[in-house]
Amino acid sequence: MAGTKTWNPLLVAAVALAVLAAAAAGWGGWAWYGAAHDDSAGYAQTREQVLAAGQQGVQNMNTLDHKNLTQGLDTWQNSTTGDLRTQLVQGRAEFEKQVRQAQTVTTAKVLSGSVTELDVRAGKASVMVALRITVTAPKSQPSAKESRLLGELTRTPDGWKLSALGQAPVGETAPTSQPSAAG
Amino acid sequence: MSTTRHLINRQRRLAAAPPANRTRPGPPPAPEQDKPGQKPEQKQKRDRKPAQKPSVKKPGRGRGGSVLHRVVAALGLLTVLLGGFAGWAAMEAATLHDTAATRNTALTDTARTSEVKGMVTQAVNSVFSYNYADTARTDQAAKKLLTGKAVQQYADMLAQVRKQAPVQKLVLTTTVTDSGVELIDGDRARVLIFADQRNTRTAPKEETTYAAAMFAVDAVHQDGVWKIGNIDTFNR
Repeated sequence: MAGTKTWNPLLVAAVALAVLAAAAAGWGGWAWYGAAHDDSAGYAQTREQVLAAGQQGVQNMNTLDHKNLTQGLDTWQNSTTGDLRTQLVQGRAEFEKQVRQAQTVTTAKVLSGSVTELDVRAGKASVMVALRITVTAPKSQPSAKESRLLGELTRTPDGWKLSALGQAPVGETAPTSQPSAAG
Repeated sequence: MSTTRHLINRQRRLAAAPPANRTRPGPPPAPEQDKPGQKPEQKQKRDRKPAQKPSVKKPGRGRGGSVLHRVVAALGLLTVLLGGFAGWAAMEAATLHDTAATRNTALTDTARTSEVKGMVTQAVNSVFSYNYADTARTDQAAKKLLTGKAVQQYADMLAQVRKQAPVQKLVLTTTVTDSGVELIDGDRARVLIFADQRNTRTAPKEETTYAAAMFAVDAVHQDGVWKIGNIDTFNR
C-alpha cells in the first residue's frame, strides 16, 4: 500500500502526453500565426496581383477594334489612372477619328512579364512586358510586331492600374511615355 | 492476495461507475448505440471495462482511484484537443506557405533577386558580345555561362555573326537595358531581358546599327554561378 506516495504511472503518462500536446499546439499555433502574418507571403501575393494587373492593362491598351471603339476605349480608360488616364481622355476624340478612318483591328498577346519594382507602402510598382501586337488593316495582311513595354502601376481603390506606359528605348533614344497601341 | 485485490478492484469499479449506469430505468436514451433489447446488467458490464485497465496496474488505492481516473480522462481529452489543434494549425501554416506565389521568391528575397539579375545580365552581355578581333573571349564566356539546351540555341543564334564577323570586321555589343526577375524557385530562375544590340562593321564601310532585342532566360544556379540554361525568344 505504498502506492499513494509514488506517482501513478498512468497519471505520469497522461501528464506527459498532455504537456507534449500542449507544446505541439503552441508550436503549431505559432507557425500558423507566423504564416498568416508573414510579410514576405503578403508581398509575394501583391507581386502576383501587380503582375496580373500590369499584363492585363498592357494587353487592354493594345487591343482595339474600330467596329467597337467606344467599348475598347472605355476599357483603356478603366485600365489606367493618373496622368496616363488624363492623356487618354484628352486625346480620345482625335484618336477615335484616326482609328475609324484607318479601320484597324489591333490584338495583343503578352509573351512574358515581370515586376521589376514594388513599393507596397507607396502603392507604386514597375513592370516590364514583352508583347506581340497584331494589326489588321483593311485590304492588307495582318502585321505582327513585337513590343518591349515598360509600365508603372499605381494602387487605386479599384486595384492596381497603369499610370505610365511606354516603349523601352532603343539605342540612344530618349525615354518616351506615350500611350502605345493601335499602330 | 489475488482474491482481496479482486474484491477491492471490484469495489472501486462500482464506486467509479456513474450512478446512472447502475440503475438505468426504462429504455436507454437515444444517442447511445445500445440495442433496444439489451439488459441493463450487460450494459453495466461493458461500461466497466475501460476502468479495469488502470486498476490492474495500480491496485489498492481505494476511493482515490476515481479522482485519478477523472484527472487522467481530463488529461486525455486535453491531449486530444491540443493535438488536434496542433495538427490543424500546422496544416494551415503549410497551406499558407506553399502557394505558388510564396514559393516564387522574386523580389521577396531581395538579395537573391539582385544576385540573379546581376549575374544573368552580366552573362547575357558577355556571351552576346562578339569582337572579330577577340573571339576567344566570347567563346570562354559561352563555355562558362551556358548549360543544357542553351548551348545549342546559342550556337544557332550566333552562327550568322561568326560567319560574317571576319569579313565585315564586325563588333557586336549587347547591353541589357532592362531586366526583370519573373521567378526564383530555389536554384532555378527566369529573367525577362530587354537589350540593345550595337552592330558595328568597318568593312566594306563603317556602319553602326542598333537593334532591340527581347527574350527570356531560364537560369540555373550551378557551382555558385547563375548559368543560362534556356533562351526563350518567344518562338520568333
